[in-house]
Amino acid sequence: MNTVYVLGGAQSDFERNWNKEGKNVIALLKEVMEDGLRHVKLTFSDIENLNKENRVACYVGNFIAENYIQQGHLGALLTEVHPAFYGVPSARYEAACASGSVALDAACTKIKSGDYDLTVVVGWELMKTVDGKTCGDILGRAAYYETEGRNVEFPFPKLFGKLAEETIQKYGIDEQRYMDDLAKIAVINYENGRRNPLAQTRKWFMCYEQASHRGTATNGLIGRKLGITDCSQVTDGAAVVFLASEKMVEELGLNKERVPVVKGYGHRNAPMLFHKKMADAAPSRYLLPWTRRAILDAYERAGLGAEDMDVFETHDCFTSSEYAAISAFGITEPGKEFEAVEDGRISFYGDRPVNPSGGLIGCGHPVGASGCRMFLDLYKQVSGNAGSYQVKRADGSIPQNGIMLNIGGTATTNFVFVVGRKLAGA
Amino acid sequence: MKSIKTVTVIGANGTMGRNIAAIFASFGGARVYLISRTTKKSEEAKEKAFMSVRAECIREKMIPRDYSSLESCIFESELIFEACAEKWEVKCDIHLKIAEILRKGRTDGGIRRIVCSGTSGLSITKLSALYDERQRSWFFGMHFFNPPYQMTLCELISTKYANTELFLWLCEYAKSVLGRSVVKVKDSPAFLGNRIGFQFINEAIRMAEKFQYNGGIDYIDAILGPFTGRAMAPLVTANYVGLDVHKAITDNLYENTRDYAHSTFVVPQFVNRLIEKGNLGRKSGAGFYKTVVHDNGMKLHLVYDIQHGYYREIMKYVFPFAEEMVGALRVGDYAVAFQRLTANHSREAEICCELLLKYVVYGLKMVEFVGEGVHSADDAMAAGFNWCPPLAMIEAFGGIEVFEELCKERLESSVLKESGFGNLINHVEKSRYDYRRFIKAER
Repeated sequence: MNTVYVLGGAQSDFERNWNKEGKNVIALLKEVMEDGLRHVKLTFSDIENLNKENRVACYVGNFIAENYIQQGHLGALLTEVHPAFYGVPSARYEAACASGSVALDAACTKIKSGDYDLTVVVGWELMKTVDGKTCGDILGRAAYYETEGRNVEFPFPKLFGKLAEETIQKYGIDEQRYMDDLAKIAVINYENGRRNPLAQTRKWFMCYEQASHRGTATNGLIGRKLGITDCSQVTDGAAVVFLASEKMVEELGLNKERVPVVKGYGHRNAPMLFHKKMADAAPSRYLLPWTRRAILDAYERAGLGAEDMDVFETHDCFTSSEYAAISAFGITEPGKEFEAVEDGRISFYGDRPVNPSGGLIGCGHPVGASGCRMFLDLYKQVSGNAGSYQVKRADGSIPQNGIMLNIGGTATTNFVFVVGRKLAGA
Repeated sequence: MKSIKTVTVIGANGTMGRNIAAIFASFGGARVYLISRTTKKSEEAKEKAFMSVRAECIREKMIPRDYSSLESCIFESELIFEACAEKWEVKCDIHLKIAEILRKGRTDGGIRRIVCSGTSGLSITKLSALYDERQRSWFFGMHFFNPPYQMTLCELISTKYANTELFLWLCEYAKSVLGRSVVKVKDSPAFLGNRIGFQFINEAIRMAEKFQYNGGIDYIDAILGPFTGRAMAPLVTANYVGLDVHKAITDNLYENTRDYAHSTFVVPQFVNRLIEKGNLGRKSGAGFYKTVVHDNGMKLHLVYDIQHGYYREIMKYVFPFAEEMVGALRVGDYAVAFQRLTANHSREAEICCELLLKYVVYGLKMVEFVGEGVHSADDAMAAGFNWCPPLAMIEAFGGIEVFEELCKERLESSVLKESGFGNLINHVEKSRYDYRRFIKAER
């Protein structure tokens, strides 16, 4: 199988509300595509030329544009972005909030197989077109809607609130301590978001006191024990990533040893219904055994372990999901996640930095874009392109390897990528 | 060097006072004494302030007081922020009081505190002269924009007496602790952001008067709407900030500055008449615009007709250039949108283009006069007004060559000559802001 190289890409500013700006999805995609091409030093005519030899394809990650903007057929929609996409193979991939990852997966596969030399992956979602409650209801379709979503106000915060309760119960941890640790997770993500010039919350104020006091006028309870500060926020956005074959990398005159590569992936689906998921997990030491399995698959495929990971991007749709991810990544033993939170290991300057981008809570969560955004952030970190939020290893060098976890539903679809450079040292 | 643990905000019952107090209490993590005429007013301010940063946790950090506690509050604070009414007599009175308290100190010899005025128009140097020599070096201007949580601009003003090291420390504090977009500006009337912003707005108002037979107010706003790089059209903005406030800032600039745009700071007579009638804008229910709610709940949006002197329904102007721009912007074709603007020679497109070019030129000129570095006007207009900033606007027009050519073709030669246009152009750099987010696809 061929190596998959990561050339880079671009992310839109997650602070922007495209509906308020009066702009539609084509505007969003044009901007991010132009920015991405500029970053990887390619042009639309390069796409056109590659397509003449059938060497390029596009992969679109999106959850549910049909509901947010009444638009389907999203692969073909790219032809409206630029005529260079006429004739280019392109289709939409969907796995709820892991849509970006399944699009990336398809794009990687076609490079591995040697079918294409360049694959363009764009994940996007426009969510600010509807009010909060409607938005929550639409997102409910990522669960088993008939059973878990219909007629429930904000179904997902409630499901992840249940996950919080299951965590407390499974590991017999002190509730207050656990809730305070969730608040710490929120604060770390907000702090990280402040460093990221494209983060939704970069100008927002957050502190531990605010995040740890739930049930107040400015931090209302929304998902059982979870407050607003435990939730990632809805936003609009897109992220584009360009993947390439070795041949393409050579043609571009890049140093193969320095361009980041996809080292491994993992993809496992857990039972759709939350209660079945929990029943299925009961014998396991892990709260989310299929999430853990997907991560182990990725490590195995990469020939690496948790100890080799310099940076993590996880799916903190809620603080309770980041908490569970800590042991799933192998940062701590299951049930000991609090150690990594309380010792600051997962903070920006810790030895296991999680979400230097701000994650879903700090950077924002346009659902179909998040997988691509995380993947792009891993690329930025391991290539030294993360600018104001560049993570450094203890010796001051840039990270060699990073791992991301992107989940769909209540950790139903679990998608993991390991991205890194071949050579150690910058 | 220092840390700010306690702040006293004087005039905390005003909108700016309480919202600035919330910035110190939240990002700054400081305890904040709120001082108003009565403790009750300070208590009311406290209840509103935390909502402005959406964080209840700062509520207990704010301590309501009245002027009788001024002395003890000052003793306990590292920083005193004055946010009183924008009148010399009022501010003078307060600063003399603070000066007196500091001079006496706890014991003989007095104490020294960082004192900042939030004035938007008065001279910082003149205010600093109210203090004795020792304290004077610790006096600065710290100009926030409304609402401060959303508008992150903070203009910082030093004086010839100031302790430079402390000033630089304060700039860093405002930037990295308070999360402000800091711009160091000279002690010049209205400072940087308001000078550029109100020049543009007042020129638009003057245009409304000139074109009163074409519709006036709503006509000009339809020409300079959100598709020209702002959240609100210019006369809507003046209506929002208040015509009295607009006049105060603009009059100040007319009286105390001399630049090539001097005549554009004259406030038209019809505005004076509206102010005399108490039609100050949104806050008084009527101004340039007026919203009438019928018994059946239906809202009617009216505009002041300059020609006839009454309110009438807003007209739905359809200008081909604007329609084409909005259509192109909707699908992200920025270059097409600006080509449509510059290629269209209707009167409306020409007014639009001319005012945008003038805005950029004036912005660049003010960088020389008031700002520090070519990017300072960009910071001011993006973070203080949410307008497409000057350097970014050059890029929106298609780059420096296109812009230069347009200016030479469209602007009066006197503007080019008196602004030192050639020199301004030579100093243009790539903007740090992305113009695309400011140029809306909205009329």
